[in-house]
Amino acid sequence: MDAFVQFTSQSQGRDRIFRATQYACALSIYLLRNNSERKDLVAKLKSLETNMSAGRKLLRLGNTVNSIEAAKRTMQLSDRVLCLCLTAANVSRGLYFICDNVLWARNVGLMRDIDKERWSLNSSRFYFLSLVTSLTRDVYVVIQLMAQKARDRNFRQKMELHLNESPEVAEAVVPQLDAFLFLLLESLKSHPAVAFDMLKNVCDLFIPLDRLGIYQSNAGVVGFCGLLSSVIGIVTLTQPKLRLKP
Amino acid sequence: MDSWVRFNAQSQAKERVIRAAQYACTLLGYTLQKSGAAAELHQTITQLEAHMSLTRKLLRLGNSVEALEAAKRAIHLSDSVLRLCLTISHLNRAMYFACDNVLWAGKAGLISKLDQHKWSQRSFRYYLFALILNLTRDVYEIRLLIEREARYRDAKSSPQHSPTLPPDSSTPAAIGLPVIWFRRQLHLLVTVLYSNPPLLLDLLKNTCDIFIPLDRLGISPTGPGFVGACGLTSSVLSILTMLHPWLKLKP
Repeated sequence: MDAFVQFTSQSQGRDRIFRATQYACALSIYLLRNNSERKDLVAKLKSLETNMSAGRKLLRLGNTVNSIEAAKRTMQLSDRVLCLCLTAANVSRGLYFICDNVLWARNVGLMRDIDKERWSLNSSRFYFLSLVTSLTRDVYVVIQLMAQKARDRNFRQKMELHLNESPEVAEAVVPQLDAFLFLLLESLKSHPAVAFDMLKNVCDLFIPLDRLGIYQSNAGVVGFCGLLSSVIGIVTLTQPKLRLKP
Repeated sequence: MDSWVRFNAQSQAKERVIRAAQYACTLLGYTLQKSGAAAELHQTITQLEAHMSLTRKLLRLGNSVEALEAAKRAIHLSDSVLRLCLTISHLNRAMYFACDNVLWAGKAGLISKLDQHKWSQRSFRYYLFALILNLTRDVYEIRLLIEREARYRDAKSSPQHSPTLPPDSSTPAAIGLPVIWFRRQLHLLVTVLYSNPPLLLDLLKNTCDIFIPLDRLGISPTGPGFVGACGLTSSVLSILTMLHPWLKLKP
């Protein structure tokens, strides 16, 4: 109970739970869409999803400042690539929040003459940009880890062992691919934070890809990916060791 | 900026800011209605207020657990009056949050046939009990501090010269004695409150808050303008105690 209270007292914790619920509803609506017996359940789920989405938009009202503060911090990083990627990610996330706030004002009725479709597309574009730069950072971190591991003598011995163990397996036909995959998997296993962050960003990427029309999937895929990334977000929040720093 | 980030990270802080905005909308709606502004603007403000109220209900979904944990902590207090007041106040708050969660489920469409008025009245009743108990605790603390201050003053003044009036006037013979006694008590009260800002803030906050359920339950109807002003004041005071944790009354 104490851990629950501590988790929900953080505003980010509650937002992740609401996001998980929102995408779970989206997924359930997609799965039940053809079921005629559950029409009122689908209606309830739709109402819950709209409610959560509207509430989360209001709760995101102050987040631009958070992103600017994060961008100021990441500008001082020593590693150039990390500095560039993270600052770009934070700046585009800040712009996404501004578009989102404008959309909230439009939905509530405070601003009337706003082209909702254009601002919605812009917010998806900025969100997409922030995810792409975050993924670039993940790939850079993985490459660094792999290079570091390849230089490690103990690891090279392990790899020799793995490559020589079963020559009949299909993977061994292309030994370079096998070695590369082994190196990649071992790097990810030793640093689960990077693996989780990468998986979260890949899942999140499907949402703006669908919205912008670049890769049209269906509402079910979007719901599932959103749910998975929210669950990973909740796990990384409860276990600070699994959180990627900076 | 850094303090905003830290403030924003607490979900209770966000809820207080939204509460302040909600009651500001109530007050604004009342003034717009009084001054005869456009119906469209008034409708926008009313819709905004309803939207903020629903979002706050969403944000409060886990608060019953917090209130129960606070009640569990309050049971271990040493002072018996404080223990009683605070434990029952937290339990009432937990019940208020439970009714509030049911109301959210009804408004969000999860529960189809919900008597919203009945549940709303119920939640306001629990809220009123919790506020009455908080006020009782404030009055008790003030009484203790006044007695201590009076004893301190008597101890300071007695070795120098005889007191001008007896400390407890049992049978006031002259007409002026009750007035002097009242003035002395008032002076003690002002001194105590001035030297204890957390207690003063808590008293003001609870006094402002109590007008909201009194109006909604129909016990003492004051109108949306006054309710909005009281709600806005108590939200601002609450935000102040969050920004400066030393202003929070403990326990």
